[in-house]
Amino acid sequence: MTRRVMPRLLLAAALGAGLQTGWTVAAHASDLTVAVSDNVIGLDPQDLNDNLSQAVARLTHEGLFRLDRNMKLVPGLAETFEANATATEFVFHLRHGVSFPDGTPFDASVVKFSFDRGGNPANNLKRQSLFVMIDHTDVVDPYTVKVTLKYPFGAFPADLAHPGAMIVNPKLVAQWGKDFTRHATGTGPYELVSWEADAVKLKKNTHFRIAGLPKIDTLTYRSVAENGARLAMLQAGEAQFIFPVPPEMIKLTEKNPKLALFDKPSLLSLFVDLNNAKKPFNDIRVRTALNLAVDKAAYRKVIWSGYADEQYSPMAPGIDGYVKLAPWGHDVAKAKALLAEAGYPNGFEATITCTPATISKRTAEFLQQQMAAIGVKLNVEVLEAGVLTAKLYTNPAPETATIQMLVTGWSTSTGDADWGVRPFLWGKGFPPVLNNFSYYKNPVVDEAIEAGLSTVDAAKRAAAYKIVQEQAWKDAPLIFLGQSHNLAAYSVNLKGASIRGDGQFNLDDDATLN
Amino acid sequence: MFEYLLRRLAGTIPVLLAVSLFVFAFVHLLPGDPARMVAGQDASFEQVENVRRELALDQPLWVQYGRYLNQMAHFQLGRSIKTHEPVAVMIGQRFMPTLWLTVVSMVWAVILGVGLGVLSGVRRGRWEDRAAAVGAILGISFPSFWLGLLLIDLFSVRLGWLPTGGYGDWTHFVMPAFTLGSAVAAVMARFTRSAYVEVAAEDYVRTARSKGVPERGVVWTHTLRNALIPVITLTGLQFGFLLGGAIVVETVFSWPGLGRLLIDSVSFRDYPVIQAEILLFALEFVLINLIVDLLYGLVNPEIRLK
Repeated sequence: MTRRVMPRLLLAAALGAGLQTGWTVAAHASDLTVAVSDNVIGLDPQDLNDNLSQAVARLTHEGLFRLDRNMKLVPGLAETFEANATATEFVFHLRHGVSFPDGTPFDASVVKFSFDRGGNPANNLKRQSLFVMIDHTDVVDPYTVKVTLKYPFGAFPADLAHPGAMIVNPKLVAQWGKDFTRHATGTGPYELVSWEADAVKLKKNTHFRIAGLPKIDTLTYRSVAENGARLAMLQAGEAQFIFPVPPEMIKLTEKNPKLALFDKPSLLSLFVDLNNAKKPFNDIRVRTALNLAVDKAAYRKVIWSGYADEQYSPMAPGIDGYVKLAPWGHDVAKAKALLAEAGYPNGFEATITCTPATISKRTAEFLQQQMAAIGVKLNVEVLEAGVLTAKLYTNPAPETATIQMLVTGWSTSTGDADWGVRPFLWGKGFPPVLNNFSYYKNPVVDEAIEAGLSTVDAAKRAAAYKIVQEQAWKDAPLIFLGQSHNLAAYSVNLKGASIRGDGQFNLDDDATLN
Repeated sequence: MFEYLLRRLAGTIPVLLAVSLFVFAFVHLLPGDPARMVAGQDASFEQVENVRRELALDQPLWVQYGRYLNQMAHFQLGRSIKTHEPVAVMIGQRFMPTLWLTVVSMVWAVILGVGLGVLSGVRRGRWEDRAAAVGAILGISFPSFWLGLLLIDLFSVRLGWLPTGGYGDWTHFVMPAFTLGSAVAAVMARFTRSAYVEVAAEDYVRTARSKGVPERGVVWTHTLRNALIPVITLTGLQFGFLLGGAIVVETVFSWPGLGRLLIDSVSFRDYPVIQAEILLFALEFVLINLIVDLLYGLVNPEIRLK
């Protein structure tokens, strides 16, 4: 009620006093519109696996921990925690006095409900993997939860900072059943107003645990598929934040003084999977030659208009435990010599697979041209994403896998080193288990990955991931290409909006829009 | 008449059944695994299998088709694999925007197109005819994608008169309807002209003129009425196509229509949504054909239905 009256009062005051500033306050209620490329798929945090939907869920929900705009682990609904030495028992102390927008209080039983729900295989939620290590969750007192794991899992707090482990409102789950994903709203800074076709509307959660925040009144998250149309919305003032902005459109935003460009390194490492189990890529000399044959600087310039960085490790910078190694460099003569040594003096022919996405296709074509210099003839195969997925997962035996080279990349969704390397470098992670499409298997790496998982000791974990990075970098199971950037554009009136390294839209709790 | 309508409507049932079988087969033969798409890259193998079981995708195809038909018989379209949203709600939200855009675009395009076509026909060879031809060629050859972006740049970004996109009040309709209708108007104009010219060469038109019917009567009663028959057919077809959703225009103007929904659901292998949408398109075409047949009778009493 007060909110509706306020602008009118201000307007009246401004009219009476003849103040120009009064007009500005009244005309610019802080209504933020964010235009993104795809559609939101759902709002139930435990049942989402796309960045876009997760970003919305993060505005309306919170976890025991969260990742800030720099992907650093910070407390959320939990204030502190303790773990035993073997990383199998975790005790979380929760914040007091927090409630959901509908008044349902947040306490230990709500946390237990959320964890039990997420981990129950019968519920079949997409984020079940975040809870599989939990044996059971106990309510110690209303503000203390104890979680016992089935096996050591040092990355557990980071795991709980994943949007998929955010706390859901048990009352809404009971009320909506199957439709919960269309109505989910948690203890986050905003609450859901409506979701229709391609627009999700949120408003300020007046029950938010931090008094006085957020400062933005309403937030509309709109799906605008066409890059040019998104940019036009920003230019016309219909949107205040757009993401992504393709590199070739950056120039257009730079000319306008009312717009600002967001350009930060992402956690997305770009590479090409090589089937390490099959000829010719089972020979390390061949894989080394391919890595040396690529002019990485040209790749960054041609494919990303310069909005990409050199790669120094199989893991992305910005993740705890990252080690900067010597870059691969560009040496065609050495590459040729290595190929000859491996028995391919005249090169060989192979197929590189990509998706119809512009960047993916252009990368394949770029590599086709680069590899020609060392006599390797690449045929480009463009597969629609659905067809590619089927091909990757339905015939997963390394020896019979049909994909030779695949333009791809990896970006961790937890911000933790484990998920930054395990999905594509772990010898037990061949598809369909995880995404090790290069069928890379090195016992040294596998042991280190497992060691990193079995402790919460930061020093021990860092040592383990150092081994993983050094060994996998040397083994060259992939062609390492570079680190991509997140590119977005926004109105200079908006403060506190960003894109996190993992590619998710982030709005600080105290963000403002004038 | 009523009996005829009933018979025609009853005739749509086998057509829709055939379409449903065809679409079902087509959709399930597409390579791609919706269970994997739903579960996502991070999912474990067991999870993918769970999803597959939940969606009943592990059942033999004929069992799945049986379930699907059973659903249809109960007027249920099921839920989207991707969003869990009831398919009927998804289509419902996008049907009205698509219908309105189609109606608005078609109305101006048909009026302008037929008008220009008749004008060109009556004044063939003169400057009006040539100007209309140039306009029509422009309308057909201008890519709607480019036209749309040019309009947005001019009217939204530079002048700030119209919203860049989205579905809302009349201001939201101006640019999409213009973009969508311009190609239709061009086609209608050329088509009407040739139909008009053809009819104008008929013996009965010459007879009418020679027995002293005033020129206005020759144009309106003798020529245009007959020339309208193929024009109505074309209008019906165009209407049907546009109701299927104009993917390019919807994309450029962020229009929440059926075309984009179809593209999205095909790329996600969202079987229930694809099936329902194609079935809806088939139904729309059947109804439009029926209306077209009725309109024939209205224009020319000689082909009125027995």
